[in-house]
Amino acid sequence: MGLLAGKRVFSIMALCMMVGLLLLPIVVALPSPAIGEEAPVTGDEAKKDGDKVEKGRDVYYKTEGIVVGAPAPKTTDGPKDYPRYNFESRVLIWFANQQHLYYGSFVLAVPIFCMIIEFMGVVTKDKALAKRYDQLAYDFIKISLTAYSLTAILGGILIFTFLTLYPAFFSYLSGIFRPVMHIYALMFVAESGTLYIYYYGWDKMKEGFLKWIHLSMSVILNIIGTLLMFLANSWIGFMMSPAGVDEQGRYLGNIWHVIHTALWNPLNLHRILGNMAFGGGVVAAYAAYKFLAAKTEEDRAHYDWMGYIAMALGVAFLIPLPFAGYWLMREVYAYRQQMGITLMGGLLAWLFIIQATMIGILFLSTNYYLWQAMGRMRGAEKYQRYIKYLVFLLAAGFIVFITPHTMVMTPAELKAMGGQQHPVLGNYGVMSAKNGGINVIITTTVLSFVWYMRGNKVSTVSWAKFGNIFMGVFFACAYINIIWLAIYGYYIPANVRVGLSVPQVATTLSCLFFMFALNSVMMKGAKQMGPIEWGKISARSQYALIMLATAFTWMMGLMGYIRSSVRLFWHVNEIMRDNSPWAYTHTVGFAANMISANVLFFWISILFVFWLGSLTAKKAPVESKAGIPGSVPQPAASH
Amino acid sequence: MSALNNPVIAVIVSLVISVAFFTLVDHYLMDMQGLDYWYLFRQ
Repeated sequence: MGLLAGKRVFSIMALCMMVGLLLLPIVVALPSPAIGEEAPVTGDEAKKDGDKVEKGRDVYYKTEGIVVGAPAPKTTDGPKDYPRYNFESRVLIWFANQQHLYYGSFVLAVPIFCMIIEFMGVVTKDKALAKRYDQLAYDFIKISLTAYSLTAILGGILIFTFLTLYPAFFSYLSGIFRPVMHIYALMFVAESGTLYIYYYGWDKMKEGFLKWIHLSMSVILNIIGTLLMFLANSWIGFMMSPAGVDEQGRYLGNIWHVIHTALWNPLNLHRILGNMAFGGGVVAAYAAYKFLAAKTEEDRAHYDWMGYIAMALGVAFLIPLPFAGYWLMREVYAYRQQMGITLMGGLLAWLFIIQATMIGILFLSTNYYLWQAMGRMRGAEKYQRYIKYLVFLLAAGFIVFITPHTMVMTPAELKAMGGQQHPVLGNYGVMSAKNGGINVIITTTVLSFVWYMRGNKVSTVSWAKFGNIFMGVFFACAYINIIWLAIYGYYIPANVRVGLSVPQVATTLSCLFFMFALNSVMMKGAKQMGPIEWGKISARSQYALIMLATAFTWMMGLMGYIRSSVRLFWHVNEIMRDNSPWAYTHTVGFAANMISANVLFFWISILFVFWLGSLTAKKAPVESKAGIPGSVPQPAASH
Repeated sequence: MSALNNPVIAVIVSLVISVAFFTLVDHYLMDMQGLDYWYLFRQ
């Protein structure tokens, strides 16, 4: 009893310490009146100082502020501003940045998964299932722990690369963000401390009240991680859409303006969702690899289940991702129309065609996995004959989604076609058609999920027949509405057409939320046709998971490149010019090769991380084998 | 509830609910943006 009380006190103290760590940066950031910098100046003193104080106008917020920073340096191509090795500096910084981002995303996403899965384990009433969830959450955090050290190392490499190759730019940026640079560092310390206590406290805090404290720790861990990411996002937000400085790039003393730029919030949302989808993909690929390499039925069942959960979580965040991307693009257009045109209608437009292809691959892989996964449950055969229609819908949406607006052609081809746009296919190259295409793809994915969730069940509610018919009619009407809005867009002016994307998205989201909810209600107490036979899934499905993860990684690299290169020849858009010899946009081919190299390096290195993790494999913190009936384990009886 | 399990009635009721819902979604979400969903039909 005394030991338990001691543990409780210790765990509460640990939790308080974490909250303290979380608040510490804020306390440190508070201005100290003793320094006198922020003290209000009034009366004669102000009048006297009035002539000396120089004021500037914020380039974005249009407010006046006192100039407290140096102007952005006007760099020249030479060893002073751009020291270099015998290699293109931009490629080196690109590589360092991308690798840090991959690992950073991974280690920020996985603890969020842990939090969700651990919570599912705590609230579930089935004790065997609760233990399996707990074990899974533990497996997840174990994977991310080794990756965490590598993230920190890559962060260090990135800073040194900046300092070595772009000293003038880095000095300017760190000068602007000086008030929050140390906060970032302290947050990183808080993140590390919390993560280690969370991981090493798992065994000791596995039951009752202590388990809730442990779960609270994961919440704090994720708040810190998310704030870290928001701070890092503010740097790239500032580089793309600067604020809080005057037209010469002089800091005007309001750090919130510098952080809260026009693109900061859309970037935050897009990155959170992107990180989660990416993290889910990587863990799913890990599980797929372990499944393929598994020697026993038991292992195969465990990794099949792990892959499914990771994929489901990843896809849950993938579905809203295109909408977050749409918001980001909308804000880019609102901030600088020219920037939006460069992205989607000009220099970088072809990269968006590649992006559309990758998005299509992501959804095709997800659907393919779900159809394969239906094979592990009895009763799901009834849906097999309808899958060809889903393939048709997906293929049609995909083809429309990847159709380019214009083609690169020789003059002879141009003449033969009668213009830059194909007389028929050219119609599919516009946003109206593309919005229709992607919404059809996402709605079909939602439908596949609904089928998967009810695969081995038969509803027993009295209104089951009506429920099934309603679901079918609702989906059919949703498809019709999406396609109708896409066609309607051709007949109305652009300023009205642009708004049609919102009801299109709402239609897709209605299917997601209402149909999932309806399905859950209908399947409550449903008759099971048979258990889900975890591990009894084709190897092809696991390759689909690996494909999913690779496509995520490649697309992240691509979108990072697009977002960064839209600044063209600016380090900080319209404030600090890039005068290095590499201030030009690479060819699509070079960019694609560079992204592929980054993806390859990431996957080789993460395999190394997984291997390292397996060396220190610690057996389950809970009695994972308990509660599993029969020789072939059934990790979860439901989804 | 038994009447709703009649396929014909179920389809009609489902159609009425779904069409009304999506029309409202289209209309109000355009309206919220200050745009006219019925633009073409008013010309």
